[in-house]
Amino acid sequence: MARRTLLMLGTCAALLWVRYARRTFRTIEVAGESMSPALRPGEFLLVRRGLPREAAGRIVYLHAESGRPLVKRIVGVPGESLRVGDHVEVNGHTLVEDYAHGTVPARSYRGVNQLGPDEYFVLGDNRGASTDSRHFGPVGQDAIEGIVWLRYWPLARLGPVAHSPRRRFKRLATEGIDGPETPVPLRHGERFGTTS
Amino acid sequence: MNVAHTIERLIRPRTTAYAHCDLPCGVYDPAQARVEAESVRAIQQRYQNAEQMKTAGQTVEDYRARCLVIKEERADLVKHHLWVLWTDYFTPAHLEKYPQLHQLFWSATKEAGLAKKSSDPEQGQKLLDAIAEIDKIFWETKQA
Repeated sequence: MARRTLLMLGTCAALLWVRYARRTFRTIEVAGESMSPALRPGEFLLVRRGLPREAAGRIVYLHAESGRPLVKRIVGVPGESLRVGDHVEVNGHTLVEDYAHGTVPARSYRGVNQLGPDEYFVLGDNRGASTDSRHFGPVGQDAIEGIVWLRYWPLARLGPVAHSPRRRFKRLATEGIDGPETPVPLRHGERFGTTS
Repeated sequence: MNVAHTIERLIRPRTTAYAHCDLPCGVYDPAQARVEAESVRAIQQRYQNAEQMKTAGQTVEDYRARCLVIKEERADLVKHHLWVLWTDYFTPAHLEKYPQLHQLFWSATKEAGLAKKSSDPEQGQKLLDAIAEIDKIFWETKQA
């Protein structure tokens, strides 16, 4: 009798765990090179649903407006003013991005725009070969399903994914340039559509 | 099938998340290449008319040096946009219907390379003509 009770309890616990795990995690496979070398094509990832308070620098799993699932890195969080070119300026300061690489085509440059209260700006680490917020604009929090938490395949690269939650900045980007000390942010209309 | 493949098959996620370029938007247009090529030709014209085009405080040499730098960048962008079309948009089915595609892209990107060396607007026009041929086929495939 006691064994049966234990078995039932064990089954219930397992079912609850599976339910919890499904609610908390999901798995995805990476396709494409825009997040290399942090994420490589063919890798299997565990995504933890939800967005932490310190979202900047995190690699997230999100849904584009078209519905296509994407993995990108958050570089701008609500309220920040961004200028995106061959580097990223946040509130007039140049963001140090050790993870970013690739030649940015001039057409991908964006002027200074301020993110709304629920808007995040996401970019691929491979800046020369990524379709991201430079093209489809900032994304709302509801478009972000969770943060990429763990790489579990291939086993040789098993481990936590390289987020960069602690952002570092260089000197004031506008120092030495005539004009206002910091760029004057503009509120974009519907989306980041204009090239500076 | 070895053990690693079997495990990979068993644990493969059902969802694919794209860390990709171009695919998510699927937006292609030869106009990108054409606009850059028009810049190339315009710069070639300006290079020839540097005396009239330069500003008062500028020497002809300075003006022409700027022309060359910008022309180099623009010609490179032409190549980039053409390669995106060639490698990402056009498919083997398109090639079957338009067997001249490879030759057209070869010629157009070669012209873009020549544009870096040439400051003759007629050369820029050849580049534009080559892009126009690709553009024509592109829109035919869009309507198909």
